[in-house]
This record gives sequence, C-alpha cells and structure tokens, in this order.
Amino acid sequence: MPFGDGETILDVTRRAGRQVPTLCHDDRLKPAGACRTCLVQIEGARRLAPACSTKAGDGMQVTTANERIDEHRQNLLALYLVDHHQGHDDCEDGAPCELHAMAAAYGAPTDWEPLPLARAERPNDDNPYIEFRADRCIACARCTRYCDEVEGVSAITMAKRGIETTVSTADALGLFDTTCELCGGCVAVCPTGAMAEKMPLVAKAPPERKLHKVRTTCNYCGVGCQMDINVDGYGNNGKGQVAKITSPPPGTLPSDGNLCVKGRFAYDFIDHPDRLKVPLVRNAQGELKEATWEEALAAAAKGLRAVEAEHGKDALAFVSSSRCTVEENYLVQKLARVAFGTNNVHQCAAT
Amino acid sequence: MREESRRASVPEELQKAHAAGEDATNVAAKTTGVPAADVFGVDTFFNLLGESEKKLRVCTGLSCRLAGSEKILAQAQAAGLGATESSCLAACDRAPAVLKERRTLVEITAADIKRSGGDWKELDSKEVPQHLRWSGHVWPAESKPKTCAINLAGKPNWSGAASTLATEMGDEAVLAAIDEAGLQGRGGAGFPAAFKWRSVRGQAETKRYVVLNADEAEPGTFKDREVMMKRPDLVLEGLAIAARIVRATEIYMYIRGEFEIPQQVMADAIERTQSAGLYSELHFHIHSGHGAYICGEETALLESLEGKRGQPREKPPFPTEVGLWGKPTLIQNVETIACVPSILTRGGEWFKALGKTQPGSKLYCISGHVANPGVYEMPLGICLDDLVQAAGGYIGKLKAFSPGGASSGFLPASERKRPLDFKALAEIGSMLGSAGVVVLNESVDMAWAAQEQLLFFERESCGQCSPCRIGTAYQRHLLDGYISKRGQDGAKDSLSKLSMVSKEMIEGSICGLGQTASLPLTSAIQYFPGEFA
Repeated sequence: MPFGDGETILDVTRRAGRQVPTLCHDDRLKPAGACRTCLVQIEGARRLAPACSTKAGDGMQVTTANERIDEHRQNLLALYLVDHHQGHDDCEDGAPCELHAMAAAYGAPTDWEPLPLARAERPNDDNPYIEFRADRCIACARCTRYCDEVEGVSAITMAKRGIETTVSTADALGLFDTTCELCGGCVAVCPTGAMAEKMPLVAKAPPERKLHKVRTTCNYCGVGCQMDINVDGYGNNGKGQVAKITSPPPGTLPSDGNLCVKGRFAYDFIDHPDRLKVPLVRNAQGELKEATWEEALAAAAKGLRAVEAEHGKDALAFVSSSRCTVEENYLVQKLARVAFGTNNVHQCAAT
Repeated sequence: MREESRRASVPEELQKAHAAGEDATNVAAKTTGVPAADVFGVDTFFNLLGESEKKLRVCTGLSCRLAGSEKILAQAQAAGLGATESSCLAACDRAPAVLKERRTLVEITAADIKRSGGDWKELDSKEVPQHLRWSGHVWPAESKPKTCAINLAGKPNWSGAASTLATEMGDEAVLAAIDEAGLQGRGGAGFPAAFKWRSVRGQAETKRYVVLNADEAEPGTFKDREVMMKRPDLVLEGLAIAARIVRATEIYMYIRGEFEIPQQVMADAIERTQSAGLYSELHFHIHSGHGAYICGEETALLESLEGKRGQPREKPPFPTEVGLWGKPTLIQNVETIACVPSILTRGGEWFKALGKTQPGSKLYCISGHVANPGVYEMPLGICLDDLVQAAGGYIGKLKAFSPGGASSGFLPASERKRPLDFKALAEIGSMLGSAGVVVLNESVDMAWAAQEQLLFFERESCGQCSPCRIGTAYQRHLLDGYISKRGQDGAKDSLSKLSMVSKEMIEGSICGLGQTASLPLTSAIQYFPGEFA
C-alpha cells in the first residue's frame, strides 16, 4: 500500500478497507494509543503496536488480524466489560455503546464476573444539559482531549489514577462553575454513552438506535453547521417528536461534527406549548389575542411611530437575530435607516 | 516565564498551596496559567498532592509488612493519628517505615506511637530520630575502591578529578571506556549506557537534556537512596561527564517526593560543587516527585517533569530522540551514573572484570528474612546464597525470594544458586530489575505475599491503558476471591480467568508496570502450586 507523509498504520489500513477497531481514536484528536484495541502486528517487532499512533514505514508488513491479535482483542474487551455497565441493550438506553458492539463483533467473553464501580461520579452537577455516567465510562479520554484539543476549553480532565481514573472537572465542580461552554462535544465523542445528554425529551425518548436521523443545517447562525435531527416517529402522540440533536461524523463539512450549545441543546422549542405560532396583539385590557399579520404589523408600526413622535428618531433601535439570513439582516437595517431614519441598528451575533 | 516552565511548575505550586492551606487547584492554576481542570488532573494523580491532608502513611512494602507494619498502621489509627497506607518507601532495610508528610521515619515501634500521644506531629522514632540524616547499613563496611565501582563506604571525593580526566581524554575515549566497561542501566532495564549516550549525541537537534532518574520506588529497592546519601559526589560527577558527552547544559534530577533527606543531600552537594567552581557550565535542577511509582518509568517521569499527569508515552520514539519537551534526552538511573567516574579513572576493563557473570560491581538491596538488611556492593552475578552469607545469613529457612523488586515476581529456594544478573534471571522469566532482593522464609504464605504485591500494582497503575488499569484490579479481585474460599471445594475456580488476564496485561499494556504486574501471582502459582490448590 502506498502512503503519504505522516500517515499512520490506521490511516493506511482504513484506505485498504481493513477493519481495525478503535475506542479512543477520533480523527480530530492527536492519537493517544491508550485504548489498546487497535494493536496490530508489525513484521519483525516483538510487541504489538497501536495502529492509531504508529506511522507507516517503507516496506512495513502489518497484520491486522491473526490468532494472536484475536486473542488479545477478546481478552482486552472482556476486561473492559468487567468494568462497565452490564448488558448490551440495557447499556444502550441512550447513545449506542461502541464497546458492547465491538465485544459482540470480536466474540469477547461476556461472562466474567464484574468489578465493583471505582470511578467517582459528580452527582451534584445541576447543569441541565450534560451528565457523566461513571458506570459507562471506559476512561478512553476522548472527551477530555476533545475539550482541550478541539474546543480549547479544557473544562474537563482525567482525574485520579488506576482503576479509579475518571472524568472530572476542576475540583469536581458542576459544569456551570467551570470554563465549560456546554457545546456537548464530550457527549458527541463518547463511545459508550458515559457523557450523556440529560434533556427531558431525551429521557422520555427511546434509545438513539431506534430514532430516525435527518441531516440538516443548523439555523441558529450563519456558519452552516451540519447536524442530525433524531426523530422519534412514535413520539408526540404519533405525530413525531424531535428527541435529540447529534453530530454528524468528523470530516462532515463545514463544521467537522462540532456544534455549539444552541445547535445541540436548544431544540425543545419545536413542540413546546409556549412556542409562538401565530401573531398575538394586546387588546385594550392588556390581554394577548390572536391576530392577523396585517393587524400585528400595523400595531407594531403604530407603537414605533408613537415613540418616534414623542422622543425622536434616535429613541428607536433595531436588533436582528443571528438566525436571520444576510438578506433579512439587510432588510432590517433598511427598515431602520429608511423607514425610521435611525442608524441604531445591531445584530445579536455582532461583537 | 515560558509556557512550558510555567506548566512544569504545576506540581510544585500545588504543593506550596496545599501546605499553605489554600484553594490549591485555583491558586496553582492562576500562578501557572494552566487550566484549572488540568491542574486538578495533576493534583489527583499524585498521592502527596491530592491527598496532602493525610499526614502519616505507613509503608505496605513486603519487607515492612514482614516487620509488622500492618500492626503499626492499626495502632496508629487506634491512637487517632489519621494514618493511611503508602506504597514502598524505599526503607526496607530499616522496616517498618512511616512517612510523616514528606519525611521517612524508620524503625517505628508501638512505643513510638504511644509516645506521640495521638498527635501526628509528635510521632518520631526513638531509635532513629528524624532530625538525623539517617542512612542504612552498607557492605563492604570499609572503603574498598579496588573492588567497588561506587564504594559506598568511601569518603566523597569533591576534586572533580574524573570529570577533568574526561575532558583530557576526549569524548570518543570516554565513550570507548563506557563501552569497554559494558555498563548496563541499573534502574531495571539493563540497557547499555554507551548506546544511549551515543544516540543522544548523534541527534540533529542541538538542544538536549540529561535527566537523573532518582524516583526509586520499586518495592524492595533502596540503593539509590544510599548512593545519594553517601556518594553524592559520584552522582554529580557522573552527570557532569554525561552532560558534556551529549552536549547538554541542563540537568534535571527527578528525586522521589518521599526522599526529603536525599533531596537535601543532593542540594547541598550541588551548592558545594558550584561554589567551588566545579561543573560551572552546567545547571542542575532538583525536581521532587509527589508520590507515584509510575514516574520511575522514564517517559512517565518526563511527563511528570513537564508538570503533567505521570502517564507513560508510547515508545518509539525513545527519549534519546524525543524526550523532555520533545528534545533528545539522556535518562540514567542514579547507580548507573555513579559508576561513571571510577570507570574513567580505573578503566573500562577494570570495571568489566569486577563482575562475576556480567560486567561490573552491583548494588544489591537485601531485606526481608535476613540478619543484616542493607545495600551490598558485590560482583554482578553472585547468587542469593553468596549475598545472604554476606548479609549475616537467613532468618529461618529460605522458602522464596524476589530477586529484583515486586516486578520480578517470586522464585523458589531451588534458584538460590542462580546468578543474580540480567541474563540468568531473564532466562527463567524473572529479572534483575533494580536488584531489590526480598527474602521470604517458611513462615510466609505465598498467596498473601502475592496479594501484597498485587495491591501495590493496582494502587500504582497510572490508569491510562486498559489492560493495566482494569487488569491490575481484576487479578487482585480474582486472588481475593480465591483467598476467601481457600480450603473449600472449587476455590481454585476463582483463578480460572487469571491466565487470560495476565496474558493480556503482558500483551496490551503500554509500559513495564502492566507488563510485569501479574508476575508476582503467576510465579507464585508456578513455583508453589500447593498453596493455590
């Protein structure tokens, strides 16, 4: 197989269509070589080598599966399972579990007596979005490396050592009290559902594998991040319910699978009872009443003109939303300047 | 300050903040500019930082256990001293040992505990008061410069003669002498020293470092402690010679955190040589460890020096190419580097001839069931019987021994005539390692002994790679299961998964800790099957 400068054995084997399992790897992160699932045999080397972090070399002969490697994978995965939530289906009450799937694919024994849980949780973290489920964690450090290397936020870390190695924050504080921006990238990169979403709709929804994914473009701002809307076809009394938002795989343009707090977590408005679907105008008693668009726009215009008449043009200001398109933003400034004669115009994404 | 040196100071800043009773994570994060979460990750990795509220730690090393440290711990707890357990404190020759903050107290007795009156600050050994710069018994007791490369009983020589000689000889002649001497690394791996020196010397990158590995923590090992205490002159001179050969000016001395006294001795030695104008072109830095055995592994040591969690790196690349801050780095053990001056002054041929089966004299640490535990400088390749004879004989009847620390597993009494060298021990799946020899007599239950060693590895696994993180805990879980059912039918079934677990630990672990951690149990079962029936 030909290979490019800096390519790893994993890069080359993937191109060759060979299956090499990985748990701690993510294309956006520096290889860690820590999960040990990707060990392969290099001709002439005494020890097996991690495919993810070993550079391909001239004339290198690599074996990705043989009796020795199979035995290693089975024993390794059996060890992982004794330190993990028991039972494949039960474990997948949220996101799919790559560990259980891998153990099944490689025929790892599942009957080893489990160890008691040694990883600490952070039960007092009251942020409404992300929870850490220690029994699912395999300490692969994908989440902490993602938080460091991709987001540059460093809100989470691997803490303690040995069998107690866990994911934590500084002083095990709740995420609200850290540098966390709640982008949920840790949830997206977690292979086993240990970093999990705790939004109410997710709690009510079936496991992710039973949801229907629809690829779309986030419309919270103009970046154009790709996202997968996960629809529960039976939810909302059979009308269908958006149950969660997940990341498309790394490499998906333009956002490489990354999302922000809005894109990932601000979706419960869709079927929310408080959602505005028709214009409302206050009547003489101050109560909001359903109106036509013509009535609503007329009421708004009247109010604006009244402010202008009493306090002058610059008493008015216009702020548009980052959800607006370029054309809509253009129209907002046009409205401000031409219709009302003020330069007080802004957009929420401007800094 | 450069970013890398700010990060490197994280452990030290944490230590200071803890000592001052401050909010350590945030104070250290603020001082260093390192994210608070990363600082917390470091804090919780090192026992002496993250658990700094624990003031007394009783050694659980095998030799201390044999000397009754379990009772000492129970008594200390009963006395309200808030004592906890510690991995081996490298004071096996003066067991049982207790760590008070960062000072190792030796030969602690029940009377000492009683005398403390329940106040940890008052605990002290009546035999060896802590204000003493205590050291251990060494052999030969008198100076023997002709047969000992290190010669622990010799007077320190502050003349810098070997270093001057090295300059006169020229670099190639120095390397040739080290080569001729056949000097192998004495930290555990036995890697040829000259090969490493040449490798660092030949790198294209011009910034290089020399690192002294004084993180002596392999259970049963306490020789580097003695070298630093008694011959700090040789350590500095060896380092200076090595630095000149590999063209480095910065020398980092990584000394374990429990070695408060050896750290002071080395600091005094640096001060002494520098004020006398010796090695003035070199900068010696002492970096204290903070309670993590794994940092004796050279790449974990480098991570720790850089102020990170002490997790080993994948090799290759080796530190000789990509070491401290990514630069070529020569890392040598204390004993290895201390052999260098006499190799130059007396010649490589002389050093080589000191050995019996392999080159050089060797510092053997002997403890456990022997009359005079201590550090014995003897020809490399002597056997256990020779060593114990010098150490005043066995206490009781020899049953088993560990030839090179916990990582070397156990050997039966029938191996008492086998040369204690790199090659002969490797042939039977053991190793010389750090030459920490622990002798066990007939009173010892091998399942118990294995359990103690397994607990050590479990406690000291860094947790980075799963075969070791889970394997060390699981093999101990299996052994506990066996011990709890011992004597009953089917007790042995508890160990049915052990061969698969140990195989995977050897196959899959990143570093030597995981690769050797099952040896105490598998060797005990191999040689003493009757005790695992």
